[in-house]
Amino acid sequence: MSLSLDKALHNHFQRSQRWGFTWALWTAVLWGAWYVPGTAMWYEEPFVSIHSGDHGMRLAATAVMTWIHAVVVLLFLVIWNGMLGKLRDYGRTIVRFRRISKWYALASLCGGPMAIFGSYMAMGYVGPVFAAITSLFYPVVGAIIARLWYHEKISGRAALGMAIIIMGGMVIYGPGLFGEIDISENYAWLGYVGGIMSAIGWGAEGAVASRAMDVTDPDVGIQCRFSFEILFWGILVLPMIYLLTDLPIITLLVDMLTSPMVMIWMVLASIAHAYCYTSFYKSFSLIGVGRGEAIGNLYGVFAVLFVMAFTLELPEWYFVLGLILTVTGSFVMYREPAENISTLREVKS
Amino acid sequence: MKPPQKGFLLITLNQSPSLWDFELIQRAMVEYELQGHYWINHFSIALDELASAGLINRIGYRLDDGEAIAKDRLLFEFALSDFGRQRMLDTGLLDGVTTND
Repeated sequence: MSLSLDKALHNHFQRSQRWGFTWALWTAVLWGAWYVPGTAMWYEEPFVSIHSGDHGMRLAATAVMTWIHAVVVLLFLVIWNGMLGKLRDYGRTIVRFRRISKWYALASLCGGPMAIFGSYMAMGYVGPVFAAITSLFYPVVGAIIARLWYHEKISGRAALGMAIIIMGGMVIYGPGLFGEIDISENYAWLGYVGGIMSAIGWGAEGAVASRAMDVTDPDVGIQCRFSFEILFWGILVLPMIYLLTDLPIITLLVDMLTSPMVMIWMVLASIAHAYCYTSFYKSFSLIGVGRGEAIGNLYGVFAVLFVMAFTLELPEWYFVLGLILTVTGSFVMYREPAENISTLREVKS
Repeated sequence: MKPPQKGFLLITLNQSPSLWDFELIQRAMVEYELQGHYWINHFSIALDELASAGLINRIGYRLDDGEAIAKDRLLFEFALSDFGRQRMLDTGLLDGVTTND
């Protein structure tokens, strides 16, 4: 009896751990998949005719695109929570703004305007490879904030695994950096600031969202987060751009909504993004922000694989080395005893 | 308006020194007018999440003899932790002083 009880307990913790890592892995797969439609969109009108030096227009187009993207993501989240029967809990959660859902609003600011914009700045002023590499550091930021704020346990194994995964990511993207960094570029510092913004933004998002998920459901939480993102762009940023500049916001909006190709890519990107983020949030409550974000970092590998599947171009040889490192790092983390992560924080009991 | 479901589990647990998961789940299903295995598992996961985050502690466990949910299912006894009580204050689920943390 006692033996089977202990075994049942062990199985229980192991199942929880496995689900946590599975959700985190789905985050990485779907995030990688998102890059294909997410990038393809830039090769369609109206984006393709925006001159690369026309920063105002590029940022305006990005803002409009991010808003439409968030609206479509929310639609898929409503379908998801509708099927799970969680829409009423969404209502109960989002109305408690002052004490609970404000954290989701803050998470949307960290992950949306700060991280996405930072990432675009890094891409635009330094280059896409630099942007990809700085983003790799977001789990470090997330783990540190979660550690300092609500004492999430960062075990030696988790930290080691995270370091190996980041190294793997750097091996995949690093060599591309040499051709990209141009120290004579006057505005490069804007790109560096953007890179830091993206690492801090995404890292902080996980820690902030987890603060609200202490007392609310992750599926509901992600729907709250995107509801706030829509409001932020829709009633603040876009109207401000419209009123304060002469950038053609309405034209951009109409052009995007009436372009079948843009909308096809938008829908595909939004499906990937919606369920990527759902998996992301679900993993935090089972394995913690640090581990969830570190495994999420495998998106770098999946992005290369998905691009390879669609373009049929093989990646460089060092991709294999990066792949070995990231997989090794994941296993270092995964092989931690399940009982260790049955409680994720050092708090007063 | 009713609290979010995880909040209800915390509020219920705060009213007793400890409760078994099947008791908490049963009360939640009455409160939110739900039934069936899907919701039993849904609330079990919510309790797992609360325990992982340190808001509630597992203070006992046993195998179900078939009278609670299903035979040989692992059952847990939970109690609210000090941290859980603090989070309830912070999130307005309990009246009192918040740490605003």
